[in-house]
Amino acid sequence: MSLERKDEHDHKGWMESRELTPVESVYLTVLIWLDRRLRVVDYLEILEDLYYKVNMQMPKSHTEQYNLDNKFWYWYPLYALGSFSTVAYIVAAISGALLGFYYAPAAAAADGSPTVAYDSVMLIMGQLNLGYFLRSVHRWAAQIMVAAVFLHMLRVYFTGAYKEPRELNWLIGIVLISLTLVFGYTGYLLPWSQLSFWAGQIGVEMSLSIPLIGEWVAQLMFGGFTLSQATLQRMYILHVFFLPFITTAIIAVHIGIVWMQGIAEPH
Amino acid sequence: MSDNDTDDVRTDGSGTGIVSPDDETPAWSERKERTQGLSRLTYEYFERARREDQDLRQQSDYVERDVLAFPAWPHEMMRNIALTSFFVGMILFVSATLPPEMPNPANSGVTPAIILPDWYLYWSFGLLKLGPLNPELSILGGSKLMADRTYGVLANVVVVGFVAIVPFLNKGSARRPVEQPFWAAVGMSGVIFSLTIAALSIKNLVPMDSHLLFDLTFLVPIISATITYAVLKTMREGYMFDLNRRYYRLRPPK
Repeated sequence: MSLERKDEHDHKGWMESRELTPVESVYLTVLIWLDRRLRVVDYLEILEDLYYKVNMQMPKSHTEQYNLDNKFWYWYPLYALGSFSTVAYIVAAISGALLGFYYAPAAAAADGSPTVAYDSVMLIMGQLNLGYFLRSVHRWAAQIMVAAVFLHMLRVYFTGAYKEPRELNWLIGIVLISLTLVFGYTGYLLPWSQLSFWAGQIGVEMSLSIPLIGEWVAQLMFGGFTLSQATLQRMYILHVFFLPFITTAIIAVHIGIVWMQGIAEPH
Repeated sequence: MSDNDTDDVRTDGSGTGIVSPDDETPAWSERKERTQGLSRLTYEYFERARREDQDLRQQSDYVERDVLAFPAWPHEMMRNIALTSFFVGMILFVSATLPPEMPNPANSGVTPAIILPDWYLYWSFGLLKLGPLNPELSILGGSKLMADRTYGVLANVVVVGFVAIVPFLNKGSARRPVEQPFWAAVGMSGVIFSLTIAALSIKNLVPMDSHLLFDLTFLVPIISATITYAVLKTMREGYMFDLNRRYYRLRPPK
């Protein structure tokens, strides 16, 4: 039995036997230090594996193989609609987070007098520097996102991009477009203006008219059968907590699947 | 198992401490092979899939890309940044020129003349107004099976459900509208219907007799579907001929 280290584990000696540049020796020292504690090498192997998977050579696409770019270049802007809706989503998220610093979801009444929520929106629009612009950006980013998502769906439909390996992503897309609409609806209610209130009224009645579970849905989503503070509070939490997390996660999955399956090109 | 190749067992606490106890310890592949039931099936399927991948790669019509391709940085990234900033700039421009209005505070006592959701929900709002289509069943003594508003909510479910099952109804490799005039016509009628049903939802703003509007809501999509179908059928032969000629010229069939 020997307490001396074997050669193959003598990393220091090994490093000295090589002529390393300072950069290399610092790198190796750090790597060995980390590896002896965290077993980094295993993870590096995984990374290497991932690298080769990401750069895996896919078959040439149809357009590439038959050199059809000259015939289809005018389709390509339609293929940017998915990224455009993602960009609009990011713009809406940033401007929405900034608006959230000033907005307060409190509405004790709906009797025509300005409530806290209404006043905070008025404050954003009237008092806050660039506040009006900020709200405008948030609203327009949302509108443009909805439009881009809808046109994206039409593009996918008319180019048959939902076909064979991509059915799952089509279904996920339907979930996403619904979430986008719910996002818009909950946001529409937040200023607690006349339009918000009556749109909320329609929402309550819609959920009440669902057979069997209608009352339960109304309770869950609107906090009661008439619009009140609870409604606004729920719309707010849906809009700034639940929907962002859920939607962002599903968008990540959606784009991940597109990454893995490749773009469905015209063919 | 290679850990046991050295004569000495190191007892000074150096090393990772991860050693297999003896030569009998199975490797991971052996463990996978030994497993039973579902995990065994999963392993076998993975092996098959890997082999299938390999076979595909060795097929003659598999064309490998050059590894040295159009560089992601800076070319591709610059294009993406340019497109993204243009698009964001467009949003900022529109929001600077067309800021939103702020209506009066909520008042449950005063019903406004026009109750509307945002424009993108008009279609759904319009589907709530399909009461006249709700059948009065003679078996129920002329009464309706469900309330009009339940019918409207159900219409929403039906529309979204139909869109969802499209990939399971329309299979095959056809991609272009000319290759599948029927589905292109269905799509076109869907697009037009989403517009007409939106118009129906704001019928008190549309300068037209509401009964006529109701009829047109369903007639216009059907007419446009028919026109689309006819046009695509007519285009089809010439278009496909042109396309096939182009393909065959580039790569004649074996």
